[in-house]
Amino acid sequence: MTHSPHVGSEIFENLRLELRRGSLILAVMSALQSEQYGYTLRKSLAEHGTEIDEGTLYPLLRRLEDQGLLKSQWREKDKRNKRFYRVSPEGKPILKQLLAEWRLINSSLEKILKEYSDGTG
Amino acid sequence: MELVERYLGAIKFWLPKTKQDDIIAEISEDLRSQIEDEEGKLGRTAGEREVAAILKKRGRPLVVASRYLPQHYLIGPTLFPAYRFVLAIAVVCYCVPQLLARLGLLAFDPDYRATHTWIGEMSHVWPDFPLEILVAVGAVTCVFAVLERVQVKSGFLDNWDPLCLRPVRDPNRITRLDSFLQLAANVIFAIWWVSYMWSQILFDHDGIRVVLAPVWKSFLWLFLLLALANIALACFNLVRRYWTVPKALLRLALDTAGAVGMCGLLRAKLLLEISAPQLTAARAAQVTYTLNTVMGRLFPVAVVACVLIVVIFNGFRLARLGGGKPGGGKPGQL
Repeated sequence: MTHSPHVGSEIFENLRLELRRGSLILAVMSALQSEQYGYTLRKSLAEHGTEIDEGTLYPLLRRLEDQGLLKSQWREKDKRNKRFYRVSPEGKPILKQLLAEWRLINSSLEKILKEYSDGTG
Repeated sequence: MELVERYLGAIKFWLPKTKQDDIIAEISEDLRSQIEDEEGKLGRTAGEREVAAILKKRGRPLVVASRYLPQHYLIGPTLFPAYRFVLAIAVVCYCVPQLLARLGLLAFDPDYRATHTWIGEMSHVWPDFPLEILVAVGAVTCVFAVLERVQVKSGFLDNWDPLCLRPVRDPNRITRLDSFLQLAANVIFAIWWVSYMWSQILFDHDGIRVVLAPVWKSFLWLFLLLALANIALACFNLVRRYWTVPKALLRLALDTAGAVGMCGLLRAKLLLEISAPQLTAARAAQVTYTLNTVMGRLFPVAVVACVLIVVIFNGFRLARLGGGKPGGGKPGQL
C-alpha cells in the first residue's frame, strides 16, 4: 500500500506528536525544578530545542498541578500578576523515577537501534 | 486590546464556572507577554492585524477551551467498532428491504406501476427515509451510550474468560449437520412431492375439489429434479466437506433454478378449478380468479426475496472462495 507524500507527512506528524507527548512532561517538570511562569518556561524550553505551543503547555501545567506534581502561585512581577509554577515536594520523587525510566528506555532503545540499524539512522 | 478581550470572552464562555477566571487570567497574561514581545520586534505598538495573527495562531476559542476540559465522549474508542458494526446492520436491515420492496413492486407489478411512477415513488419514499434512518441511528446510539456508561462504571469488558472464546470456524467447511439436514429435508420433500402432489387434482375430499392447471406438470418435474440434485449434492458434501468454486457454482445454479421456479409458480395462474358443495359455479370461478390474482401479486415480493436470498448466501460464498483466503476450499476438489 502506498501513500501520497501528504498522507506520509501527516502520519509522520502524528507519530512525532505521539513520541513527544511523554517526553514533554519530563521536559516541563525538569525545567520547573526552578520556579518559572508559563511564558518564560515556554521560551526556555524552546531555547533548548523543545518547542511547545501554549495550547499544550498551559493545560499540561494544570493537569500536573491537579495531580499534585506541581505547585503554583500568583505573584506580581514587572507590575503584572503572573502564575509561577514549580515542582511540588510530592512531584520530586516522581520526577526522579520518571527520569530513571526515561534513561532506561533511552539506553534500551539505543541498544536496539545499534543492533537492528539498517542505515536509516 | 479590545480584540484580546473579545477573544478571552469567547474562551471563557466554554470553560467551567469554577475555573474560568483563573484560566482566563493566565491566558490573558500569556497573550500580553506575547504581544509585548511582538511589539519589541516591530518597534511600535502592535496593530489589530498583528494581534489577530497572534490570536489566530493560538487557535479558535472553542479549541483552546476544550484543552482545559476533561475528555467527554458519548461512545468511547473501545465500544466504537461494535457501535459502527451494529449501526451498519440496523441501517441496512431497516431501510434496504423497504426500498427493495417498493422498487420490486414498481419493476414487476403492472397494477402498482399503473398508479405509481418512478419519480413519484422516489419523492414519496425519500422524504421518509432520513427520518427512518435517524430513528434507527438514534436508537442504536442511545443503547451504546448507556452501555458506555455502564462499561466505565462496572468495567464489564474486563471480566472475560479466554476459554469461552468461540472456536475458529472455517467458513468454507461444510459441517456434517448441515449436509444431513439438507439431505433429510430434500428426501422428505421428494417423497411428499411424489406421493401427494403428483396429480393435478390437489384436493378432493367431502365434495371439495381443487384442480391445478396443466402447467403444474412442468413444475412437478422441475422441483423433483431440484430435490434430487440437492440430495446428490448433500451426499457429496458429506464426503467432500469443503466448498470449492465448482461446487459453489452448482449451489448457485440450483438455488437460482429453485428461485425461478418459485417465482414462476406464483405467476402461472396455477389454480384451474375450485369447487365445493356450498359454492355456486360463478362464486367458485371468482374464488379461483382471486387466489390466482393474489399469488400473482406476491410475485414481485417473491422476486425480491429470492434475489436477496440467492445473492446474499451464494454471493458471499463465491466472493470468499474467489478471494483466495486461507481455507478457501481444497484445491482439486469438486
